[in-house]
Amino acid sequence: MLKYIIFEGGLYKHEILEEFLEDIGGFIVQRVSVSLDLILNLAVPEEEVQRLNDIAVGLKGKLKEAPLIGTEVAVVAPTLSRHHLPHPSCDVAENLRRYGAKTNIIGLARGVGQKIVNRSTREKELIEEHDLAVFTLGNFEHCLKEAKLPLFKDLSIPVIVTGGPYFNGLPGAQGYVGGIGRFPERARTGDLIERLNAVSELSGKVVEQRRRELDLDPLIVNPIVVKEEVERQVPEAEEGLSPNPITLKVEGVRIKLPYDEYHEKVEGIKVEGRRLGDIANISKSLMRDYILVRVLPESMFK
Amino acid sequence: MYEYIAKKTLEDLALGGSVTGLKMCMRSEIPLFIIKIKFREAMGKNALGGLANIEERENGSKITLESEIDLGDALKTLWSTFGRDKVEQSGRTDIIVSGVAPKDLRDLKIRDKAIDVPARINELAARIIPEGLRVRSIIREPGVMTFIAAEDPMREEWKDMGRKLEVDE
Repeated sequence: MLKYIIFEGGLYKHEILEEFLEDIGGFIVQRVSVSLDLILNLAVPEEEVQRLNDIAVGLKGKLKEAPLIGTEVAVVAPTLSRHHLPHPSCDVAENLRRYGAKTNIIGLARGVGQKIVNRSTREKELIEEHDLAVFTLGNFEHCLKEAKLPLFKDLSIPVIVTGGPYFNGLPGAQGYVGGIGRFPERARTGDLIERLNAVSELSGKVVEQRRRELDLDPLIVNPIVVKEEVERQVPEAEEGLSPNPITLKVEGVRIKLPYDEYHEKVEGIKVEGRRLGDIANISKSLMRDYILVRVLPESMFK
Repeated sequence: MYEYIAKKTLEDLALGGSVTGLKMCMRSEIPLFIIKIKFREAMGKNALGGLANIEERENGSKITLESEIDLGDALKTLWSTFGRDKVEQSGRTDIIVSGVAPKDLRDLKIRDKAIDVPARINELAARIIPEGLRVRSIIREPGVMTFIAAEDPMREEWKDMGRKLEVDE
């Protein structure tokens, strides 16, 4: 199984790290280089982590475990109004990104209130394009327990809910984190940042659990391999101005190119000797007509 | 939690000096949210001399505004009249203007119309009240506004609760 790790260090001699990754079959998921600083999101075989650590120490860099690397997380707010954005949704999203996730913030059209609360089928499909959904809800315990369940109870992806009051769990959600309700300014206090970290840590556990479940019926190719082949065979994908033009997901990738123009080219990509269109579902995303690639499990081919 | 939201929203709207009291009542099981706000009406004065105390200082003047609500307009006017390098905000309601005598500041008009405090109070309440409570009723009295917000059609008993709510100054 691959282990997901963030390397924080300098550009100096970082090619040693890259060569090591090449030798052991590791991957660079994302590279951010600012001035002389370098941040790499890595996927490394579990048994090679110690050797990687030795190299990182030699380069005076730091390694941090980040199970959210290679996941796309939807941070869902009840609406897009100032009551719910930019705080706390943006703070939750920012913290998730620090743990390696790629986040998208979604504001529902009618996620407010107790009696008018609603979520459309289109919104459901959009949220389900992600690997995990974090719902940032409000301060009233009664409202959270009695009224908000229709927002997430029938989603096919794992859900984590945040809210103001402290209590244990919500039906329909894999986890609940209290202490993050509605707040009107940036999270700056230690308490609040600790709660944000709790959301990211819980998200990491949920994603890791999902990956372990996938190991029981593994995907026919690892999505990281698909990502590398897309980069090699469709260079236009890397030239896009969107952040993370090829976003790695737990079960596939999102390619930020228009579906109608590029889907045939993407279907024709050769991955480990097979046509990508034969080993993955390739569909049009509800998000700006991007291309969604969902790799099929091995069991489908037996 | 809502006390904190109210305090931050008051700061954001620079209503600290105008609101003299605020009380909230929440019943999430109904759901019902009542907020009663006591405030000082604006005097309808537009000239700096009527809105602030202006003292002569060495090489200039010190302006002390009576209410923070005038701060934005006062700074905007002073900057456009005397330039940014001569105007410095030294405190929440204090401004120092270098090289200008008090007599040149007293008649300076900082806005064309008097400030509409009730409109700002309206905005304050709209930002505090949970968004889902869209059925609203407003009771206006001189210097006091009561907002009743619910999801069901407005009931007279809720309005009575709003009227009876007492606000400490």
